[in-house]
Amino acid sequence: MINEKPTIKSSLKALLYLLPMLVITVMFNIWPIISSFLMSFYKDYNFYTDEVGGLGFDNFLYLWNDPDFHLAVRNTLIFVAGVVPTTVILSLVIALLLNQIKVFSGFFRTVYFLPFVTSTVAIAMVWNWIYHSDYGLMNYFLGFFGVHPINWLTNPHYSLLALIIMSIWKGLGFNIILFLVGLNNIDKGYYNAAEIDGANALQRFWNVTIPLLSPITFLVSVNGIIGSFKVFDQIFALFQGTPGPGKADLTIVYYLYQKFYTEYKYPVAAASGVVLFFLILLVTLVQMWYSRKHVHY
Amino acid sequence: MKKTVWGKSLLGISALALGLTLAGCSTGKTADKSTSDKKVTITFWHGMNGPYAKALDSIIKDFNGSQDKYVVKGTAQGDYTALQQKIMAGAKSKSLPTISQTTYTTVPDYVKNGFITPLDPYMIDGADKLSASDLKDIYPAFISSSKYQGKYYSIPFSKSTRIMYYNKTLMDQLGVKMPKSWEDIQAMAPALKAKGVMAVGFDKSFDMELEGLARQAGNALVATKGKSFQANLNTKQTLEATHFIWDMIQKGEAKTAGEDIYGDKAFTSGKTLFYVGSSAGVSHMKTGAPKDLDWGTMPLPTYKGKSATELAGNDIVMFKSASTDQQKGAWAFMKFLMSKKETIKWAEATGYVPLRKSAVQDADFQAFLKKDPTSEASVKSLPGGFQSTAFIGFTEYRNNLLSAVDAMLTKSETPEKAMGDLQTKTKQIIKDNN
Repeated sequence: MINEKPTIKSSLKALLYLLPMLVITVMFNIWPIISSFLMSFYKDYNFYTDEVGGLGFDNFLYLWNDPDFHLAVRNTLIFVAGVVPTTVILSLVIALLLNQIKVFSGFFRTVYFLPFVTSTVAIAMVWNWIYHSDYGLMNYFLGFFGVHPINWLTNPHYSLLALIIMSIWKGLGFNIILFLVGLNNIDKGYYNAAEIDGANALQRFWNVTIPLLSPITFLVSVNGIIGSFKVFDQIFALFQGTPGPGKADLTIVYYLYQKFYTEYKYPVAAASGVVLFFLILLVTLVQMWYSRKHVHY
Repeated sequence: MKKTVWGKSLLGISALALGLTLAGCSTGKTADKSTSDKKVTITFWHGMNGPYAKALDSIIKDFNGSQDKYVVKGTAQGDYTALQQKIMAGAKSKSLPTISQTTYTTVPDYVKNGFITPLDPYMIDGADKLSASDLKDIYPAFISSSKYQGKYYSIPFSKSTRIMYYNKTLMDQLGVKMPKSWEDIQAMAPALKAKGVMAVGFDKSFDMELEGLARQAGNALVATKGKSFQANLNTKQTLEATHFIWDMIQKGEAKTAGEDIYGDKAFTSGKTLFYVGSSAGVSHMKTGAPKDLDWGTMPLPTYKGKSATELAGNDIVMFKSASTDQQKGAWAFMKFLMSKKETIKWAEATGYVPLRKSAVQDADFQAFLKKDPTSEASVKSLPGGFQSTAFIGFTEYRNNLLSAVDAMLTKSETPEKAMGDLQTKTKQIIKDNN
C-alpha cells in the first residue's frame, strides 16, 4: 500500500477522506483569516451590507497615528517580556524540584495544574481580592516586609505588573507538566555517563539536562509567546471590562475588541489583527531561526 | 471492502451536508416563524437577569394572556454588553428579533446602519397610537430621548436615576445637617475630613455626576445644535463642574470607588458620609448594609440653585427586519409596557422608576413608597431628569469620556488637559459621523 504510486483515483480518495476536516478548517480558520486581511484594506466599509467604498492603507495609517495603538503595542511587548521568560524559568525550576521528590509529587502536580483548568474569570475574581488595596492579601504580606500598601489595580504604574504576576501564576501549571514530561524522557544513561566522567550536579544540569530539554523549552516558549501576545481575557476579567487604570493594561487584542465592539470601526479592528499576526509571525520566525542552532532533537 | 469505504465516506459527506443545510435553515427562519395556532410571534431580546428577569417574564405572561393575536417570547441575552454584541451578530447574520432592549444612545448608530424602524406609524399615527394626554403623561426626559432626528425610535423601559445615599447614623454622630446643595457639601467637607470621614463617595467613574453638574452650570456635555451637535467639554461651565468634583477628590474630601467599582462599600463602612449612586442600587444596599446602619436616600443636591439627575437605563427598539404583523404586535406590547398599570408593577418589582406622572401619583404606588421610603428619592428626582445627547459615535465618545475621567483620577491629569483632549476627540467624532 505504502509504495503504491499515486493515481488520480487514489488522490481523489485521499481528498475525500480529508474533506470533512478540510471543510471545517477552510470555513472556520482559513476563510476568516483571508476575510480579515481583506477587511483591513477596506475604506468606507458597511459591515452589515458588505458594501466596500474602496481599498487602501487608510486603516493602517489610522493605527500608525493612533497613540492608543502605540500604547497597546508597547503594553503587549512589556507583557510578553514580563511573562514568558519568568514562566519558563520558574516552571523549569518547579519541574526539577517536583522530579526530585517522590512522596507528594502527584499532589503538587495537581496543585500546580489547578490554575490551568480553572476559568480565567474565577481566577481574576480571586486575584481581584488578593490585589485589593485595603484588605487584599498581597498588601498584607508585603506589609510584613515594611512595604506600604500598593494600589495594584488602580495605579497605572503597578497594574500591568499585577496582570503579569497573575498571568505567570496561571501559566505555570501547564508548562510544569510539559517540562516534567521532557525530564522523564531524558535517558538516565547520560547522567550515569556524566557522573562517571566526574561531572558534578551543576555540570550535569548544564551539559545534559539543558541541551536535552531544549525541544520542550522551545515548545514552551513559542507557545507562551503566542499566547501572551493574544492576552485579553485576563485583562477583561481582572479590570472588570476596562483596559486598566489610565489604559495601563491596554493590549493589542483589547484594542481590537474596543474598536470592533464599542466603536464599530470594523476595518481598523481587522487591521490591528493583521499587525498582531505579523508581530507574532516575526517573533516566531526569529525563534525558529534561533532554534536551528540551539535546539537538539 | 472498497465499497464500504466509499459508502461510509459518502454517508459522512451527506451527513455533513445535511447538518450544514439544517444549520443554515434554522438561522434564517427564526425571525418570521409563526406558531401553529396562527398567533404572531414577537421575539424580544433583553438584558435582564435574576429578579429583574422574573418580573419581566410575569409582565410578558400578562400581555400574552391579555389578547389572542400575539405571543411575545422574551429571551435573556446575558448582560447589556453581551446583548449589544448579540444585536451586532444578529444584524450581520440577518437574524434579529422583532424588538430588543438597548440603550437609547445606540439609536443613532442603529438608524445609520438601517437596523431599526421609526415607531411613528404606530405611536403617533396608527389606530393604536398614544394619545396626546399619554404623551404628556410620560416624563419629558424619557419622551425626548426616544426621539432622534424628529422621529421616535424607542420607548423608555428600564430606567433609573442617580440619587444620593446618606448615612444617618454617622450624620447624627458628627452633627451634620442634611445638605440641600452641592455647595453645602463642599462647605462641610473640610471639617469632615478633619474627623477622618470623606464627604462624598462616587462609583468608579464620576462621569454621570460630571454631566449633571455641567448641566446645572449651564450646558450639556454634548448639545444638539440645529441638525448637528456641539461639544462643550472644555467650556467654562464644564471645567467649573469638573473642578468641583476633582478638587474635592484631590483634597481627600471625596473619593471614587476604584477597584470596588461601586461606592457602596466605602459608604456602608463609614468612609464616606454620602454616596452618589444609581437608584437601581437601592435593593443591593438593603441587603449589603449592616443592620445597625441607619441610611436613607434623597434626590441629588442642587448646584447653582438647579436640580438635575442623569437618567440611566435601557429603551426598547423595533427592528426593520420584522414583518408588518410582528411590528403591529410589538407596538401593542410596547404600549402595554408603558401603560400605567404595568409601569407601576414593573417599578414596584424592580426599583426602576415608573414612566408616567399618573403612575407616580397613583394611590397604590404612593402607598408602596410609604412602605419603602428609600425608593422615593428616584421618583422625586424624575422632574429634573435628563439624558445625555445621543449621536452617531456616542459609544466611542463615552469610551473617551470614561478614559478622560480615569486619567484625571489615576494619572492626576488636570481637568483642563483631560477635558481639552476629550473636546478635540469629540469634535472629530461629530465631524466624522454627523
